Amino acid sequence: MIKTVNLNKVFRTEEVETTALNSLNFAVKKGEFLAIMGPSGCGKSTLLNIIGLLDTPSGGEYYFDGVDVAKYKENQRTNLRKGNIGFIFQNFNLIDELNVYENVELPLLALKVKNVERKKKVEEILERMQIGQRKLHFPQQLSGGQQQRVAVARAVITNPKLILADEPTGNLDSANGEQVMQLLEQLNAEGTTIVMVTHSPAHADRAHRIMHLFDGHIVAENKEKFFV
Amino acid sequence: MFKQYFTIALRNILKDKIISSINFVNLIVGFVTFILISLFVYSELTWDQHNKNFEKTYRVQLFMDQADNVIHHTASITAALSRHELTTIPEIDKIALIHDVGDNNKDGVFLSLDKKDQYKIRWGYYADPSVFEIFTFSFIEGAPSKALLEPYSIVLSKSVAQKLFPNSKALGKQVYGENKVSFTVTGVFEDLPVNSSWRPYYLLPMNTFTQITGWEGYESQYRSYSFNIYVLLKPNAEPSSVDKKIYNTLEKYQKEHHPYLRHMESLHLNPFFQKDIYIILTLLSFIALLILILASVNYINLQTARSTTRLKEIGIKKTVGFSKNSLYSQFLFESIMVSFIAGLIAIIVTQLILPAFNYLIGTTGIIGVAMTSNVFSEPGLIMIVLGVSVLTGFISGLYPAYIISSFNPIKALKEKVVNNPNNGFGLKKILVTVQFTISLFLLINGFIVFRQTQFMVNGNLGFNTQNVIFANIVTNKSGSSEPLRQKLLQHPEIKDACFSDYIPFIIPGGDDLTWEGGNAEEKVFFRDYRITSDFFSTYNIPIVKGRNFSRDFPDDKEKCIINEAAARVLGWDDPIGKHLIEGNKKVEIIGVIRDYIAQSMHNPIEPHWYHIIPDSASLNGIFSVQLATDNTRKGIKIINEEFADFFPEDAFEFTHINTIIRNEAAVQAWLVIRNISVFFAILSIIISSVGLFGLVMFFVKRKMKEIGIRKVLGFSLGNLYLKLSSEFLWLLLIANLLAWPASFFIYKQLPGAHKYPIQIWEFLLGSSIIMGIAVLTISYHIIKSARTNPVDILKYE
Repeated sequence: MIKTVNLNKVFRTEEVETTALNSLNFAVKKGEFLAIMGPSGCGKSTLLNIIGLLDTPSGGEYYFDGVDVAKYKENQRTNLRKGNIGFIFQNFNLIDELNVYENVELPLLALKVKNVERKKKVEEILERMQIGQRKLHFPQQLSGGQQQRVAVARAVITNPKLILADEPTGNLDSANGEQVMQLLEQLNAEGTTIVMVTHSPAHADRAHRIMHLFDGHIVAENKEKFFV
Repeated sequence: MFKQYFTIALRNILKDKIISSINFVNLIVGFVTFILISLFVYSELTWDQHNKNFEKTYRVQLFMDQADNVIHHTASITAALSRHELTTIPEIDKIALIHDVGDNNKDGVFLSLDKKDQYKIRWGYYADPSVFEIFTFSFIEGAPSKALLEPYSIVLSKSVAQKLFPNSKALGKQVYGENKVSFTVTGVFEDLPVNSSWRPYYLLPMNTFTQITGWEGYESQYRSYSFNIYVLLKPNAEPSSVDKKIYNTLEKYQKEHHPYLRHMESLHLNPFFQKDIYIILTLLSFIALLILILASVNYINLQTARSTTRLKEIGIKKTVGFSKNSLYSQFLFESIMVSFIAGLIAIIVTQLILPAFNYLIGTTGIIGVAMTSNVFSEPGLIMIVLGVSVLTGFISGLYPAYIISSFNPIKALKEKVVNNPNNGFGLKKILVTVQFTISLFLLINGFIVFRQTQFMVNGNLGFNTQNVIFANIVTNKSGSSEPLRQKLLQHPEIKDACFSDYIPFIIPGGDDLTWEGGNAEEKVFFRDYRITSDFFSTYNIPIVKGRNFSRDFPDDKEKCIINEAAARVLGWDDPIGKHLIEGNKKVEIIGVIRDYIAQSMHNPIEPHWYHIIPDSASLNGIFSVQLATDNTRKGIKIINEEFADFFPEDAFEFTHINTIIRNEAAVQAWLVIRNISVFFAILSIIISSVGLFGLVMFFVKRKMKEIGIRKVLGFSLGNLYLKLSSEFLWLLLIANLLAWPASFFIYKQLPGAHKYPIQIWEFLLGSSIIMGIAVLTISYHIIKSARTNPVDILKYE
């Protein structure tokens, strides 16, 4: 599903050059659940942004579904991202001016899905995430757990091949965090590939594999569970 | 997709009510200004167009070649042309000869049903029946084909008919003119629209002209220029070929006079080839455009500044796969939507304030404020306004939409874009400078127009404008009026009195004169006044050379007095004893009076010559009386009593000289322009203030972190204030450098012969006001944010 060869990311200002990712070589198989761990500033989020096609690497190759997309232009990346990759963020990132229904609907609008089909899909996913009764509420009227469920609904509504979760439980209490983890496990069980950045060893343990980053290098890979 | 654009736009409008209100007020005021000025300019450009024969109607005018290449145009023309030469020209379909009843430059003629209720009515004309075939009249009573056929008939406008015959039909009834002549009403017509260059209140048949005025043979006299002639050309007739045919028709009589046709479309805007109204209309259109630009610039500034509140939305949308183009369309759509809504509201607001605006500019103003009172009756205008609002939204949205849609999604999600110091702030500085410049320019122009108008109304005109009252009396009483003057002067409340055919601001026609030692071919146009010897003392006009007329010199009736302008034109340092020549008659000059403004500051001072008026009350002249400055009320009472005693059979009404000065056409026009300019200067200040308020608010928000850090480091409030406000004050300084010369240029371009002396304080005051608004706004925001706890700000950051 994902493969990187000598992936680099360097941030340059006029005077300073910072290497955020240094010759990363790794792969994620289809249906795998990968957790990425590491201290602040180690390059976790940068890696996630590149995997998610929000950012481009400075060097190396990045294969998404077998195609090298490292040098894709912005509109190519946008087109590829659309429908194929779902994002879940620590701070939920819901649009305050849109209600639950409209937030979840967004990726379908980007895909120009027809009205009737859109409505059906949104209703379905909201029911599945158990937030159907709150579909006309605005983000600020929901608890953190509920907001994250909306964000998950938005991430999965297009049946993406890949879900990228950037500390999805970081802003949640343990009960809500657990709920989100269960959702992710369930999605993964249904076949969705998941890459999750987390600080929580307990949550990382629930992944098939854990990759440790430090100063832009992969320093360790724990293979705790057998991946089928 | 558009539904979603719409939803987000609407919720954003509702979410940030202060900024949304600023945006709307800004755009609405801009559009309202645009609509009002458009209506005004449109109404000015469409005079007389209600006439069905507008395309084919012309007035016969003439120009006179004069000394030093001055070309003098006039619409006053000889009646004989209309009865002879014009009738032989095949291109001409209809001809109408017209003459004032009484003298419309004076204050009108009394009409009444009996001797008690007399109404002074201006704008009466003798006219040929063909006027109804040339001009479009809508008859309520009677028929146009018969209305002006019978001698001693009278056709009334609806408003005059209602005054004379409230609640009853006028047709067939009798009306008295000046208590002397009886007319039969043969028709009543709807009042002509205000935007008619010829707007009679009542008409008398031309065939009664001689009986009433006693003027025999006017139809064959070529040297009397007091008539107007309108003609209707046949379809497809070439006016230029008519011009050729009539060019030399007066050659035998006045060699330098050349008649020509002037199309109806020019009769209001520039009948005599002046540019004055065009300059004013151009200036106003320019102001409308500037205010629209100002609103647009404000909008761009605010939207760009506001974009930072939309970062999360942009980040999310880009993340889930919306393209840059679709975000660009979204923000452009939003901009157009806001602008369109503002356009709709502006149309309604305009409708609401239109009566007040019409009142402000005075719909009876002579330059012809004939604006509609119903915006909704102008569907074309509504379409244009909506079109302009969409265009404004589009243009104003281009830049902010570009900025917003270009945000990097990762940075946008972290809401970090704000801190990029190069984020369009260079352009923003330019836009703020443009905003300051336009506001300052409009404000200073408001001052200039205001001061010029005050100068025209209150400036020193060179004669007594304070305590002279006058009345025009039409009487059959013969004999000298000197006994009346003597009786008046016995009262200490009355200082002086005189009798003349014309007075300042009611100006006479004139004569083309040659002069002693001059070329017989070269002539100069002189205004011709006939006065008693007390005229100059009554109006406090000093004699600077020679002497006044005197009752002790009976020969004075063969002599004349001129003004300084006349002496200047003739090039005479000492004109006393020299002669002016009218036809074959040489007239000796015995005195020179100081120049005074006889026809408003707008017009140049023309040469005048004054003669002794024969001492007879029946001359249809004007009595002027100078009151002593104390107790004027008692003086007026005495005057009315003495005049009623002396003229028991006649109606009269005294008017203060200041009233006609204020009613003079150019003064009226300037009062209208003043009101408009001041109104729009205030609007532009409102737009600038709201724009600045919003912009500074965002600017300070951007600087919150800096404010917090500086406070932690121990900087004082004053220091912070100086640091932050200096950025705006620099821009203001640049605006001054641009707006001052531009305003001075406008001052130089303003039409009018006499201008008030412009002064530096007007510029300084304009700058101070704009600076004051800027400083107050900046202070409000800076002090408000600087007083917040730095810990809160830094935590927030």
